[in-house]
Amino acid sequence: MIEVIVNGTRTSIPNGLTVKETIKALEYKGKGFSLALNGTFVAIATYETTMVKDNDSLEILAPVQGG
Amino acid sequence: MNDDTWKIGGKILSSRLLIGSALYPSPANMEDAIKISKAQIVTVSLRRQAAGDTHSKGGNQFWDIIKSLEIEVLPNTAGSHSAKEAITTARMAREVFGTNWVKLEVIGDQYNLQPDPFETVKAAEVLIKEGFEVFPYTTDDLVVAKRLADVGCKILMPWGSMIGSGKGLMNPDNLTAIRKQFPDLQLVVDAGIGKPSHATQAMELGYDGVLLNSAIALAQDPVKMADAFRVAVEAGRLGYEAGTMKERAFASPSTPTIGTPFWHQFD
Repeated sequence: MIEVIVNGTRTSIPNGLTVKETIKALEYKGKGFSLALNGTFVAIATYETTMVKDNDSLEILAPVQGG
Repeated sequence: MNDDTWKIGGKILSSRLLIGSALYPSPANMEDAIKISKAQIVTVSLRRQAAGDTHSKGGNQFWDIIKSLEIEVLPNTAGSHSAKEAITTARMAREVFGTNWVKLEVIGDQYNLQPDPFETVKAAEVLIKEGFEVFPYTTDDLVVAKRLADVGCKILMPWGSMIGSGKGLMNPDNLTAIRKQFPDLQLVVDAGIGKPSHATQAMELGYDGVLLNSAIALAQDPVKMADAFRVAVEAGRLGYEAGTMKERAFASPSTPTIGTPFWHQFD
């Protein structure tokens, strides 16, 4: 297991996962969100080729009201 | 009947009111207010999504309503305090919202939410090179406006006053200077509008549009206020197009003086 920070909260996930596998492991469902890894945008097209490492920080954002 | 249209971000629109989607008493109220405002651009944002439930924090319900309105969405980068944060947020927004439009908002001071001009210019330059249509939220500083134009911004959104303050146009002369300096850019007053008359004033200055949120959402009756702002923006634009009279230093009678009855008879 490795530790990652997801939306500011530290959590454990199995080692050696891609972004796509990490999203599934974290139980994020459906579409309509976007992801940044260590402050850098990760496009959906690269979810399967981008690996998540120990101490990585993920931001998973969805549409909300804004001014 | 107002058949006025304008072009912004490659789209031809008939409404010059840009409306925010936050702070309404309910999603239904927001939907009704946006509809009656006849706004064709609505601002949206991105925030952290909780795991396990795509409907948590109203995320998807909100987005479903916005999509059903079939108007342009303008994602903001609210909450960003650096060019890097704003650039990442813009890239994320482009994927989620499916638009290259972005309301670039980089805050430089947490107390008055004043934009950071240095980071805003830096982010605008990068995003424009990546194909974004940047709507930069800025102050009414003419030199900052110049720098944003220099890096390729076709739209400028100077503040009327501080975000959410409702104080109206603090420096109309500064806004006028920007208008005169950039006759070919699309100019939108963004932030600080509190009353319909403020929006009218901005339009009378020759601004192409007005962006506001709190003034409608925090009104006692947001739907009625949205309608009021629709009328106010139209009135201001018509007034600008009609050309206002020159201000005079002294009184000047409008009723003819020739033929005045009882001319000095009882002095």
